[in-house]
Amino acid sequence: MSRRLPTNFILGAILVALVVGTAALSLVWTPHDPTLLNIPGKFDEPSSIYWLGTDQLGRDVVSQLMAGARNSMAVALIAVLIGGSIGVSLGLLASAIGGWVEDAVMRLADLGFAFPALLFAIMLAAVLGPSLSNAVLAIAFINIPIFARVARASANQIWTRDFVSAARAAGMSRLAISRDHILPNILAAVIVQATIEFAVAILAEAALSYLGLGAQPPASSWGRLLSEAQTLLYLAPQLVLYPGLCIVTAVLGFGLLGDGLRDITDPRLVRER
Amino acid sequence: MIELANLTASFDGAAALRDATLSVAPGDRLGVVGESGSGKTLFALCLMGMAPDAANLSGSIHVDGQDMSVASESDWQAIRARRVAMVFQEPMAALNPLRRVGVTVAEPLMVHEGISRQAALARALALFKEVGINEPEARLRQFPHQLSGGQRQRVLIALALACNPALLIADEPTTALDASVALRITDLLVRLAKERQMALIFISHDLATVARATNEIMVMYGGDIVERGPTTDVLETPIHPYTKGLLAALPKWLIAQRDAEGKRSRLATIPGSVPPLPELPQGCRFAGRCQNELANCATERPALQQKSVGRSAACHLLDRDAS
Repeated sequence: MSRRLPTNFILGAILVALVVGTAALSLVWTPHDPTLLNIPGKFDEPSSIYWLGTDQLGRDVVSQLMAGARNSMAVALIAVLIGGSIGVSLGLLASAIGGWVEDAVMRLADLGFAFPALLFAIMLAAVLGPSLSNAVLAIAFINIPIFARVARASANQIWTRDFVSAARAAGMSRLAISRDHILPNILAAVIVQATIEFAVAILAEAALSYLGLGAQPPASSWGRLLSEAQTLLYLAPQLVLYPGLCIVTAVLGFGLLGDGLRDITDPRLVRER
Repeated sequence: MIELANLTASFDGAAALRDATLSVAPGDRLGVVGESGSGKTLFALCLMGMAPDAANLSGSIHVDGQDMSVASESDWQAIRARRVAMVFQEPMAALNPLRRVGVTVAEPLMVHEGISRQAALARALALFKEVGINEPEARLRQFPHQLSGGQRQRVLIALALACNPALLIADEPTTALDASVALRITDLLVRLAKERQMALIFISHDLATVARATNEIMVMYGGDIVERGPTTDVLETPIHPYTKGLLAALPKWLIAQRDAEGKRSRLATIPGSVPPLPELPQGCRFAGRCQNELANCATERPALQQKSVGRSAACHLLDRDAS
């Protein structure tokens, strides 16, 4: 079993560890208070005090990026958890009951897919009002059909297995079988999907915050840093670069990790390494 | 206890099980034999109320006098495990790889009898002892991959017995096991059926195993019951040409028999193979492969008729011989 781990998994794991580690660190320590204004010290060059310099209001860039990482992670985590649990429950239910219930749930999921996800999130955030928690709700909502589909497809496969027939023959109800036998066996596929959706959620949060529909000042967010720095593109181009790089790192990290996990857990993808 | 009358299951109009009529009483040990595609497993699933959704059922099933042909899924759930239980063919596939086997066996007890997990696990332990699992305490906490094939099949038998069913259906319980283990599992099922006064339906394509396990036998071909009777009588003096063909195909004769020139005789076979479901003849299902075919066989369906006490067969030859 000394199979080498796929490269994308290792690379993804390193990037994710970096981002998650930074976010965790920001809970207890940042070099400076990310919201502390210091107008005379605006646009400072990188120095031993301000590692990446300061922004147009003299706030420490590193501290802001760290606080942004924390928000991004929190939003993505909660959104994927909520969307994932609702979606997986719906998928399991559809698969367990079958018939018109399954059709109804899956056609609703199709409807969700037919609508551009981000546009939908923008609409939802606009209706509910711009705030970080509404951004979470919007991102969670667009995750529901994705997880419903994955769960139902995997569950349908498990339902054909003999141990499910044995459980039915033992008189267990379809819901009890879903909980005790189906769910544990589809968890691998769900976790892979969750990792990939985590990357999508980070991107969505950044986009919503960029548009002013997510994190509100003074809360820090990569998307908001990006939109604030945009107006200063000629004056201080580095301020656009840093949050952009952070977003790329996080999205790439979770994307690679998800792909790597899929390579590891899906035996159909075994290939020469 | 269980009565079937003219139970028919068809897929897209093609009958995979035709007019199965049967009654099972406590203590009966009935063998069901036939090759792949003869409807054995479908028959078993019908008795469990677990026929595939695509199957169109007609006829009636009564369990303890209750008409189950109109029963809902939850009515069936109440009966499964407590009145009828089933052991599946593949002990490798019939256990959830992610659950400890003790929990798997304890589960129906918690569901049906509402007892605590502790009490259910204690009952599972007693069942493990009853079905002869070695080191039962340690096994309770093990996962299926840690058990041998024979042990897994014993776990599945324990699972089926958990709620003291009146009828146990064993669908090819020994096919996936090696010969010596298969023998012990067969004997275990017979012993349990006798001790518990439980009816046993033993499905197999291995005539030797069925001969050992049962006192009555039912031969199926293409979804029809072609012959029924006491096991020894049917195996010694088969009536239906299909049963005769099956018995002639047993390889035990191969060893001694040599023809006049001293060459070894070839193993007898039934010519042809079972046609796909929609192409089965509408009359006798065996028409086209039968050595003694009459003019009306392919079109006219022979009824299952009694030939002597307890023995019946479905064949037009019986009418011809009688007249």
